[in-house]
Amino acid sequence: MKKVLSLLLSIVLVLTLFAGCGKSTSGDGTEPAEKDDETEKIEEVKEEKPVKIIFATNETPILTTDFWAVVSERFTDANPDVIVENIAQPSANIMMRDYLKTLLAAGQFPDVMVMASPGDFVPAGALLPIPDEDMPYIADTTKGKFNGKSYVVPYKKQVGGFFYNKKIFAENNLAEPQTYQDLVELCDKLKNANITPISMGLKDGWPQLVLASLILSADLLTENPDWGLDRNAGKTTFTSPEFKKALNKYADLTKNYCNDNMAGVSYTQMMELFFTGKAAMMPMGSWLQGEEQRVKPDFETGFFPVPSDKNADNIAVWINEGLSISAKTEYPEQCKRFVEFFMTDEEWYGKFLKTEMLFPTTKKAVEYEKSSLRKEIEEKIKPMTEVENWYDMTGDAALLPGLQTYFNKMTVNIAMGEDVDKQLELFDKTFDEAKSNLEK
Amino acid sequence: MKKKLELENLTFIMPGFLIYLVFMFVPIALCLFYSLTNWDGISSSYKIIGLRNFSRIFSDVSFLESVKVTIIVTLTTSIIYNTLGIATAALLNYAGRAYNFCKSAVFLPAILSPVVVSFIWAYMTQTDGGIINHIITAVGMGPIDFFASKDAIAFTVSGVIAWAAFGFFTTVYIAALKTIPNELYESAKIDGAGIFKQFRNVTLPLLTPGITVNTILSVTWGLKQYDFIKVMAPNTVQTVTVNAIERAFDYNMMGYSSSIVLVLFVSIVVISLIQIFIMKKFEVEY
Repeated sequence: MKKVLSLLLSIVLVLTLFAGCGKSTSGDGTEPAEKDDETEKIEEVKEEKPVKIIFATNETPILTTDFWAVVSERFTDANPDVIVENIAQPSANIMMRDYLKTLLAAGQFPDVMVMASPGDFVPAGALLPIPDEDMPYIADTTKGKFNGKSYVVPYKKQVGGFFYNKKIFAENNLAEPQTYQDLVELCDKLKNANITPISMGLKDGWPQLVLASLILSADLLTENPDWGLDRNAGKTTFTSPEFKKALNKYADLTKNYCNDNMAGVSYTQMMELFFTGKAAMMPMGSWLQGEEQRVKPDFETGFFPVPSDKNADNIAVWINEGLSISAKTEYPEQCKRFVEFFMTDEEWYGKFLKTEMLFPTTKKAVEYEKSSLRKEIEEKIKPMTEVENWYDMTGDAALLPGLQTYFNKMTVNIAMGEDVDKQLELFDKTFDEAKSNLEK
Repeated sequence: MKKKLELENLTFIMPGFLIYLVFMFVPIALCLFYSLTNWDGISSSYKIIGLRNFSRIFSDVSFLESVKVTIIVTLTTSIIYNTLGIATAALLNYAGRAYNFCKSAVFLPAILSPVVVSFIWAYMTQTDGGIINHIITAVGMGPIDFFASKDAIAFTVSGVIAWAAFGFFTTVYIAALKTIPNELYESAKIDGAGIFKQFRNVTLPLLTPGITVNTILSVTWGLKQYDFIKVMAPNTVQTVTVNAIERAFDYNMMGYSSSIVLVLFVSIVVISLIQIFIMKKFEVEY
């Protein structure tokens, strides 16, 4: 009897399982009527859901999650067929470049992303080429091309140089230097007055490279704007006399005119040294204005470019950062629309530029409430010639993958007293390795 | 019957074997394969370059520097764990509230996240504003620059690592001490042995299994050290693991990074086997 019951129960269970596998029928047990084509189309339109694109943002203390959410929300309000989901690096000390590489390796590359180092991604075919006609709103589309193609829509321009404490300069009767020699004399005067001339920190690994890079821009790129192209083509080396001279200047400034214990000082502490008047100058990019507005808006800050041996008529600019689209996105048209919206929605773009007192890259001038320092810088750089910031040279002139990391470390090593010549020889060797690693 | 048994055994072994295969063997095999290529970690194509990555390793200055730092960290932490650890364990190997409190206090840092510990110590060791230098200057001495040179940084971070994991190793020694029967100490006392002789002739030989475990663990942990260095000195000094990660993700050299990781893997296995071989000679039974 038990066996029969078990068998019955098993049959019932199996039948129950298969019951869900049949064709659906209408309530009265008959087959549903065939729908005509028109009804199907109407239903398709009704059921069409908005597409979702992922936007990888670069979060900083100023460009927060809430801040980036504004552009995504505004875009969706204007384009209800596209939803933009923002993602960001999990921690502020993770570089955007590394985060994006991890996402790419994991098959989760975002549709649109903030991109500062396309040279790492273009050889892997990860980015979508953006023809000039797709970015008619950009003022200069000639820069940053890889084999004649653009992969980044530049969204900001920043300038770099020395920010200085106006009060200290006034108290010590100091003027802005016009040559590198002037800069050294200025540092000597400050040192003699028991004031640390330059605020510097190596702990975060990047602030020191700003100084080295600005010196290289002033010395190399003003003389030969194609220096990066020449290096990548093997026409010059990192041990060339002009490169060595520039790096020796960096070694001299860090060795003799910066604060002690640089290795233990972070970017935040560097700012503290500068904004509390413990150091007279801080070499940095114009994003420091955003920090000034945030932490000490009443601070009297001045700005001058890093001078070369001859003059201070050139200004180093960063134009490497912008928006890129994944080569594998399912929605290239929607992504391009989002990028265009980012650059042309004046309310948003003005807000974006205001965060770090940035310079626009669009044809149309975008106005926003500028600080007095921002206005001063704008006036000062008007007659100057723009050169790219050496570290972030763009397009075919960009440093090969890995060389930026090497440069970061090399500048730390030199600041900690290591031999410049030896470091530069290793730089050339690393270049050769990076080049051979690109062979496919 | 025997065949059936074998089949049953195999069935039972299969889930564990499959997990091992997928999560252990496959990654190691892939790592070996990538080490023979110039794969950048993000492209779909790569070139097989044979043993070129391995021949490059030993002339790579940044790798050799990272080996030096790794050795400093491994030796410093292992010496601290296994000398101060034994001494502390011997001091705390008694019952009582005060002892229990001390044991908990010593173990406490071991439960903190390495990232949290690193951040706390990074602030404490600052030359300008760090609490340690506040105290030092308050007593009239000059401040110490814990980050003055690469060697100084390596030793500073080693000290922090040792502080954080010290409790774990001490606890292992306390547990090992508990296995030594009291009768042996009583016999030694009757034979006229003092505290030091008891320690040398009774405690130390019978503690050898604990020492074996702790030395292998401390050396392995030291060789694999990543998080403390990454947080406390992210761009000034590197251990081998930090160097490997940097090569993979900053330099786009996944193939080369794989060869570094394999060299580290083989080194850890060989060193551990040597340690076991040596320590076995010192083990005694009662």
